[in-house]
Amino acid sequence: MPFLQPRLLVPVGVFRSIAATHARALPISRRLQSTHTHRQPQSTPNYLESADGLISDLTIRKHHRERTPRKFDAHGNELDAYKGGPSAIDKAVHLFFFTEILRGMWIVLEQFFRPPYTISYPFEKGPLSPRFRGEHALRRYPSGEERCIACKLCEAICPAQAITIESEARMDGSRRTTKYDIDMTKCIYCGFCQEACPVDAIVETQNQEFSTETREELLYNKEKLLANGDRAEAEIAANLHSDHVYR
Amino acid sequence: MPSLQRYLRSIYRVGFRAWWRQLQYIGDAKSGRFVGQDQFGNKYFENYNAEEEVPGRQRWVDFAQHHYHASQVPPEWHSWISHIRKDPPTEDAMMTASRQPWQQPWTENLTGTRGAYKSYNTAAPKINAWEPKSTPRA
Repeated sequence: MPFLQPRLLVPVGVFRSIAATHARALPISRRLQSTHTHRQPQSTPNYLESADGLISDLTIRKHHRERTPRKFDAHGNELDAYKGGPSAIDKAVHLFFFTEILRGMWIVLEQFFRPPYTISYPFEKGPLSPRFRGEHALRRYPSGEERCIACKLCEAICPAQAITIESEARMDGSRRTTKYDIDMTKCIYCGFCQEACPVDAIVETQNQEFSTETREELLYNKEKLLANGDRAEAEIAANLHSDHVYR
Repeated sequence: MPSLQRYLRSIYRVGFRAWWRQLQYIGDAKSGRFVGQDQFGNKYFENYNAEEEVPGRQRWVDFAQHHYHASQVPPEWHSWISHIRKDPPTEDAMMTASRQPWQQPWTENLTGTRGAYKSYNTAAPKINAWEPKSTPRA
């Protein structure tokens, strides 16, 4: 276990001194396997490596014997790569006495004495991002005109094909949707629709508490989506404003 | 940081009646600054003292209704209690400026009641039954 440092133990309270001495006393097994990062000094050209010095994993695996690193000092004497590391007995002790499991159980024991982080949900809520993607809504312009122009980009980009749009020309000649359905049971809440929208019409609000008792209630139509936008417009606009510098 | 001292201190601050009410709903004695009240009568509190509340429990709501539901929090306060906005909507200039005159009042999630949303088609049907029109014979 080259990466498991005793720093993982975060002792508290009366266990602090005991754990600190223990952690220092435990020898660390630093290196169980040799690494291939060293270049071997050799006279013959190395055909295993390409010109740019990169070598594939498969090649290393295939020529594992040949790639065993051997270090030499200035006098040509071979250096022991394992010198200063843990001995074989040390490693065997860690292996056979399950010290990693005991260290893991120590962490569990520490958590037992710590205060819980339970949030009592409907009264307290965990933090959400202004980019949180929840229930959908169709927005309006400040004049009250609906934003959606039925370009169908959201319908095209929707990976779950949850959006269905039909459009018609209105009496004043502008193209608007007659049908804007989102099947919320299909939706995967990826947020592509609000990113594709050129007029910021379809957005995903921060509302996540729209669970229903029946499946039919999740088949949203245009009226429902516009009503969502009409109710939560202040929150949506404030969130978009707080995030607009990153878009 | 939950402790017996914090619990007793909260009871001392909020009083016995409020503590009893908290026991019925939140299930914990909490005390903090009263931040505001929304149009439904839900009261919002916060306590950022790290000695008393762990992160995530620093803002809470006292629901007005007995049959409380998370969606009874209107969206403006929802973004405050979800830690999206720093300031409550009464003090948040951006939130008040974003409010539109055509905005509709918030309704809670009405699923399971008669007010539940029922899906319907908003477009005219494309296939209609044939209605024969015959001119009367002379």
